[in-house]
Parts: sequence; C-alpha cells; structure tokens
Amino acid sequence: MTEKITYYTIDELMAVCLARTIKDGDTVFNGVAVPLPFTAIMLARKTHAPNSVFWGGLLAGVNPEPCFLPPTSGDSVMLRDADPVLHLSQIFDLVMRGELNRVFFSGAQIDKYGNLNNTLIGSPNNIRVKLPGGAGGSHVGSFARNFTIWSVRHEARTTSKGKRIYNLVDKVDFVTSMGHRTDKGDRQELGIRGGGPDMVVTNLCVFDFDEVSKIMRLKSLHPRVTIQDVLDNTGFEPVIQEKVEESALPTEEAIRIIRELDPLETRKRGFSSEVLKRRYDL
Amino acid sequence: MGIFPLRDRKIMSLSEAARLIHDGDIVAVGGNLSAREPIGMIRELIRQGKRNLHTVGGAHGVDIDLMCGAGVVGTVQNSFVGFEADLGLAPNFRRMAEAGTIQVRETDCIAMMVQLRASQFGVPFMPTPVVAGTQVLGLSTDFRQMTCPFSGEKVNLLPALRPNAAIIHAHKADDQGNVKLYPPYFADLLFVEASDKVIVTVEKIITRKEMKHIGSNIPYYEITGVVELPLGAHPTSCYPDYSYDRSHLSEYVRAAQSGPEAFSSQYLQKYVFGPKNHQEYLELIGGEEKRAALMSWQQDEARWRELMLRE
Repeated sequence: MTEKITYYTIDELMAVCLARTIKDGDTVFNGVAVPLPFTAIMLARKTHAPNSVFWGGLLAGVNPEPCFLPPTSGDSVMLRDADPVLHLSQIFDLVMRGELNRVFFSGAQIDKYGNLNNTLIGSPNNIRVKLPGGAGGSHVGSFARNFTIWSVRHEARTTSKGKRIYNLVDKVDFVTSMGHRTDKGDRQELGIRGGGPDMVVTNLCVFDFDEVSKIMRLKSLHPRVTIQDVLDNTGFEPVIQEKVEESALPTEEAIRIIRELDPLETRKRGFSSEVLKRRYDL
Repeated sequence: MGIFPLRDRKIMSLSEAARLIHDGDIVAVGGNLSAREPIGMIRELIRQGKRNLHTVGGAHGVDIDLMCGAGVVGTVQNSFVGFEADLGLAPNFRRMAEAGTIQVRETDCIAMMVQLRASQFGVPFMPTPVVAGTQVLGLSTDFRQMTCPFSGEKVNLLPALRPNAAIIHAHKADDQGNVKLYPPYFADLLFVEASDKVIVTVEKIITRKEMKHIGSNIPYYEITGVVELPLGAHPTSCYPDYSYDRSHLSEYVRAAQSGPEAFSSQYLQKYVFGPKNHQEYLELIGGEEKRAALMSWQQDEARWRELMLRE
C-alpha cells in the first residue's frame, strides 16, 4: 500500500487504544462477536507485542496470520498459517488454570463496576429483549488475569416515550460477566481468582478503575471529546481524575497496518454511521 | 458414549438417521456460528416434525435459529445464538425467547464443556475454579460450591450433561463408520464422547482402504449412523471444501426478521418443505454453479474476500 495516509477514523483510534492493553508476551484470546478487538490484537502482534501468544477464535489455531478479518469469527481464514490447531477445550482448560492474560468483552449494558450484560434486558421472568448470550464470558471473565472492556456504542439515545437509554449504565439488568462488584460482593470476597476488567475503551474515551471504589475512572479523552460529552452519554458518574489526558493517537504506521490487516473493514461493524464518517487529521 | 460395534450397519439414508432422534431429546448440535453445522440433517428433522427438542452447546447461529423458527425446539441451552457483527441478532430465537414460546437455559461455553466432560469421564459432576457474581450460574445452570476435601480450597461443581444425541457434519467416513474430521474441530469430539447416539452426515463416503491411508479420527464404535450428504453443512461453511453462503444466510435472516408467517412462506416452504430430497435442495440453491462458487475460496485471496461480502 503506497498511498499517503492523511487521516484516521474512530475505529482505528480505538484499535490503537485496545492494542495498548496487550503487553508483549501476553497470552490473548478473542472469542465471539469481537471484531474490533480482533484488529487490535493483530495490530499489537505486528507492533509492540510480537511475542504474544494468540489463539484465533473458537477455531483454536495458534498464532494465525489471517489475510483478512472475517465478519463471522468462526471462518477458517482464522486457521491460515496457524500451527498447531488445537481442540477448543484445550484453550478453555488453559483459561481455567489461570494462564490467559488478556481477553476482550463488551456488553449491551456495561455498568460502573464493569459488570457486563449480554443475556437479556428486563428480568428472567419478563424478558423485554433477549440478547444473544455471553458465550464464554461468565467463566472466562472469572478466570482471565485481566480483561479489557470495549464499546462502540458509548452514547445515550432517547426512546419515543422520552426515556434515556444508555450503554454505560448505573446497574445492569442482568450480570452475564462479573466486573469488580455486584450485590453479592467483590471479587476477593467471592473467591474469584481472575483480576477482572482493568481498562475500558469506548468511542469517546478510555477508563480504568478506581482502586478503592472500583468504579470506572476517566483516564483519557479522544480528540474533540469533552468531559461533558462523556457525562451526557453515561448513565452514572464516573470518577474523574484531576488530570485527564488525551488518548494515545495512531501513528501512520499503525493505520497502515490496520488497513492491510482488515481489508473487509470488519472492525467498523457496530459503530453508528455518523461516528464512522468523522475523519481525524494525522 | 454408547458403543456401536457392528460395522456393517452404519451407512444409512438421511431419513433413517433422523428417525434415531426422538421428540424431547437433548441434542448436541455440532459446528459453531456459521461453520460446519449439520443444516441438512436439521432440515430433515424439521420435515419429520420433531417436537420439543432441547439443544445444547456453545456459540451457534442459523442451526439453532432455524430449529426455533420451524417449531422443533422446546428448550435452547446454548451459550450464544446469533450472527455476531456479520448479520446481527438471531431473529427466531430472539422473538420466541421474548414471547416465551421457547425456554432458554442460560449457559456459558466453559460451563457447557465442563458438564459434557463429566459425561465423557463417566462421573456425575465436574469441578471448576470458583466462578461467582454472574447470574448465568444458578439461574438455569445448576451448580454447587464445595470445599475440596484434599486442599481445602473452594471449587464450583457442575452436574453432568449427557445428550441423547449428537448431530455433526464431518468430511469423510468409510463404510464401517470411521470418520475423518478436518479442523476446525470446535467441540465436536467432546460431543461424540459425551452423547448417547452420534449421527454424522459427511461430504463423502470413502472405502476402508482410502480411510486407512488418510487416517480417521473418530472410531466406528462411537458412531450410530453415517449419511453421505454433500454440501450437508450449507449454508454454513465446511472448510477446506466450501465457504459459507453469505447471500443465502442474508436471505434467511431477512425472512426470519419478517415474522413467523413470512418466515414460513419465504424460507421454510421454499427450502425445507419444498425440495423432495437433498438433491433437489442443492439444485434449488444453485446447483453446480453455486457449489463451484463456494469452493472457489481456494483460488485466491481476492475471491475469498468477495465471498465474505455477498449480500
């Protein structure tokens, strides 16, 4: 690819932020319904984390080199150059014994403690919206050393009845994957081994978690986003540091790598179209 | 699970094999998402009017959604049913779960694996490290917590889950019922050992001599019945043979999104009840031209990418 790169888009910015949550040498898994993290993992492997161990989806290929990122995560392009190819149970076993460093989860609802809802809106006896389900999230979320939460719908919308609906909410309707604290207690009290979520990357900003309250803490803002924008689009009050930085920006090299890895632009799926249209000058 | 030592009775017709599944059975459906699911077998189960089946497994898509929309399912116990960012929510599954016309037993990929493992290991339960905070456990996946009598640490216990049948689509079988499954394996080998009956549709039946040459990976005595069913995973993929048929899946999703009557006329009547047999189905979806198109992923990357974008 020889054309000059003059701009990047929000998905590319987020891929860079997500990639930064992977350290070199980490073991990383991507599961179901994670198109953007997929891009981030491949970017990390091509840049600062070449020694990371990556299992490409439910196909259980070790360190694949896909020539595109597929819209359906179970496609066999995820086996390209993978060796060996394991049984899925071998990866789950490794996760259970605590050897997975990093995985990525999202949710139709994400609350202030990083609890995730991928099961239903409403209640089990009165399901208003049935969501697809958490796949491995409830167990992998308990066993993984850490996980990154991501959201491409960090926004509020108003229903026809005037109700404000958020993606980032005060309390999830249903806990599919546990964050740091639920009504039943915190991770330590419940005897969970894994460390839980440590970073949250959205289309507006990046959060980490306050050490004491375990509530999401605003760490950095993306370009052209203000603290008020975050507060307007969040259904709870995050902890706000005195110094909120600007999010790490993509380099030309990173953008070039992303566009080469993902010619089908699978990473852009799920964002609202206006957000995707925005161009950020390099 | 279940030993079937007689080697001369394995190959059967699709209708014979489907008759091995009974109303109310717990059925483990092989494959994952849009990959290597036994959709040909599922169409036959629908034609035979099965009722109240209870599906179990991990992350799935059109297979479970089609079974829901056709009314053969009473309970879904899968960790995920949907089309991801590819084609969105699973319309029949969602509609029927919200209406209460199917029961959903929430589960998780690892919980499912652990429960099937207990069956595979011949024990009534299996431990895992502590999992808590999630409402998935306890809501409809029974579990206990126990203190390990050896180490004193706390563990979770999950009960064994033993499917009445596993339905799997694989690549080759010989006339004795030995099966060759190429990667990705997903959870299929676990399903074979955990389930009572194992019914496998395959792209091709080969001779015992040919199978010895390539080496099988599922032994004949685990297999109840084998059916030769080329393109038996369609519209899901069966690599390395064929890619998934994204334009057919898009048509499926549009029909399913339009409600039960539209789904019945636009999809079920057309593709499930219409064709008299599997060969007629293959002709309906585009015959040799379609088959060649789905297999053309091997030609070059540009061709492979194009298959991923078909509307």
